[in-house]
Amino acid sequence: MVLALRLASVAAFLLAWEWAARVPISFNFPSPGATLVALAALVTSGALLDATATSARSLLLGFGAAALLGVPLGLLMGVVRPVGRVARIYVDLLIALPTAALIPLVILSFGISILSSAVIVFVFSAPFVTMNAYGGVRDVRPRLLEMARAFGASWGQLVGRVVLPSALPMILAGLRYGLSRAFVGLLVAELLLSPFGLGKLIMTSRSMFEHDRMFATVLWTLLLAGAVLAGLGRVERRLLRWRA
Amino acid sequence: MARVMAAPAAASRAPASLEIVVDGVSKAFGAMPALVDVSVRVGAGEFLSLIGPSGCGKTTLLKAIAGLQPVDRGRILVGPREVRGPGPECSMVFQDFALLPWSTVQRNVEFGLLLRGVAAAERAAVAGRAIAKVGLDGFEQAYPAQLSGGMQQRVGLARALAVRPQILLMDEPFASIDEQTRRLFQDDLLALWSEERATVVFVTHSMEEAVYLSDRVVVLSPRPGRVHRVLDVPLPRPREASDVRASVGFTRLVDELWKILRKLQ
Amino acid sequence: MTGAGADRQFGVAGLGAVAGLLAAWEIVGRLDVSLFVPPVSGIARVWWGLLADGTLPGAAASSLLSLVKGFVPAAVLGVAVGLAMGRFATVRLLLDGWVNALMSAPLSALVPVLIALFGVRDTVVAATVFMFSFFVVVVNTTTGVRATERSLVDMARLFGAGELALFGRIYLPSALPAVMLGLRLGAVQAVKGMVVGEMLISLVGLGERLIYYGNTFLILELYAVIGSVLLLALLISQAAQTLDRALVRWR
Repeated sequence: MVLALRLASVAAFLLAWEWAARVPISFNFPSPGATLVALAALVTSGALLDATATSARSLLLGFGAAALLGVPLGLLMGVVRPVGRVARIYVDLLIALPTAALIPLVILSFGISILSSAVIVFVFSAPFVTMNAYGGVRDVRPRLLEMARAFGASWGQLVGRVVLPSALPMILAGLRYGLSRAFVGLLVAELLLSPFGLGKLIMTSRSMFEHDRMFATVLWTLLLAGAVLAGLGRVERRLLRWRA
Repeated sequence: MARVMAAPAAASRAPASLEIVVDGVSKAFGAMPALVDVSVRVGAGEFLSLIGPSGCGKTTLLKAIAGLQPVDRGRILVGPREVRGPGPECSMVFQDFALLPWSTVQRNVEFGLLLRGVAAAERAAVAGRAIAKVGLDGFEQAYPAQLSGGMQQRVGLARALAVRPQILLMDEPFASIDEQTRRLFQDDLLALWSEERATVVFVTHSMEEAVYLSDRVVVLSPRPGRVHRVLDVPLPRPREASDVRASVGFTRLVDELWKILRKLQ
Repeated sequence: MTGAGADRQFGVAGLGAVAGLLAAWEIVGRLDVSLFVPPVSGIARVWWGLLADGTLPGAAASSLLSLVKGFVPAAVLGVAVGLAMGRFATVRLLLDGWVNALMSAPLSALVPVLIALFGVRDTVVAATVFMFSFFVVVVNTTTGVRATERSLVDMARLFGAGELALFGRIYLPSALPAVMLGLRLGAVQAVKGMVVGEMLISLVGLGERLIYYGNTFLILELYAVIGSVLLLALLISQAAQTLDRALVRWR
């Protein structure tokens, strides 16, 4: 029943797409079939995989930095309260504000390069990673801390055995959400100014009116991001098996 | 989900109480039987408690009588009506109070009347009287979050009484209220009950509470729920006026109930 | 839900922190460390100039129009879809896979698709705003409806409430705080969508100015527009919060 409904909704989407392509809503609108054919051609020619590899480099560089800096910073903010009280204001601002506005500045500073995309990916994802690590530490149940202290836990034991495991679910959720924002940032950066990766493939297809290629690349990008995020979700559930 | 309702008989001046007949009722959730062939007859105006270990289906039975939970087999009669959905003669008090957090005390107490189509002016007057009855005058404009647990449950009781129910269903109403408040509340409930004379079905897992309040106590066995024993409580009324809790009869009955329940664990 | 920090008030501490940042920036700017850190006072002067000659007000007006055109439908439809998904399991099963996937998907990749559909027009910006904000509203509304206390529903049904009364008197008010949170987060997302959309079509609004000043290397002007975008985003998130507090007083 559940499966039937889910399959029905996918089928309905494909039918609607096919219908929209046949009407046609716009001459720039390829059918699902044409898109799949273009996707196959892009995969076999290697163009798509090259572009994906380029994008993956920016993503890994930027998101890796966000994770390696953001998590420790968030933990520090949570453990050393005064640091947290000040730093969180800036992190809050970065979360609430449209960071895309900073892209031209990043491009001016770092030039048109993979480094620029990576910096943009970092700016998009780091605030969420940091904020969740901070929130995770702050939400540790005081009862648990009291309990550990009552049993004579040292500061190191307190952090390592109580604070970190308690904060882990939120840290992981922050990483997953940060990664989803990283993808958003990556695409904005590549579409806008860096002639690299998947964004470049989308833009060149568009400018050459090869809309089936463009749709195929967009579809590929969305599926790729979805698969990566789902995979991370899997790892997360694995690590958090104790949460019933 | 919509259920057929009898004509709105809100605030009706009909007879003050009705008999409840539960006849061979069974209910399962998936493969888990919750109630098996349960038959209970609650006399008009009687105060009956349901008690039993957790998982014995007390609340399921209460919801079935209320018409909130359809049963798989058997039938339930409330007066002459066979229960197929919520009816106008029943009212209920919930363990977690079930107050609308966004509404004042006054509006909460009016809520049942509102849903049953009573006009605004009459609603206000009836609710006002109900609030006074449970001793909450002066708190009409307070929000639930501003009240203690005991006071919140008084609001729940006032709301249940405001629709003049012939049958009052109470689902562990005092479970989350502290002991002192609970004792006072039990006495107030008995006083109100002797005025209103509704038929009461009261779910609890406190043995003292069951004995103190009830005419009869029905003991349900756990998983699946069946009627295990029915204990008569021949203590004199009004109990709230005399010191029944200190009497030998009371202690003996509580002890008897404990012996029955202990074997069920 | 999402955006752990997005739902907090920027109070006096926030103003202090921003003031501190600006002061430090002014000092570094005066020291002439880098071309990319011009003194704040210089930016302010240019900002005032762009304000006076109508550049910023014109761009902001166009941006706000796209924001409204995208966010209002997203809010209305999002709440409606969220209510339906929260209340009816069938609707939820049909849609929640899509909603959850698209909620975390890089929707910026779809902007070229929107351009293909609508052409290079400001409709694309409104559509981007819609895309960015719609799903947060849906998810929060659904969560709110599903978190409705079982006993409140039982209570209302016991008193004879039909589907309509249940919706209007139990589910909707119960879900209201979550709906408002969704709208607030949605508004924040909407501003992000607005900037992304405008930058990508590079035709109108503040986003177009960002691209233009970036391409022409006018650093001071670029900073002035960035500042304006940030200010606009803050004002909108503050307005959403004020509205929320006014509507959900009973907490």
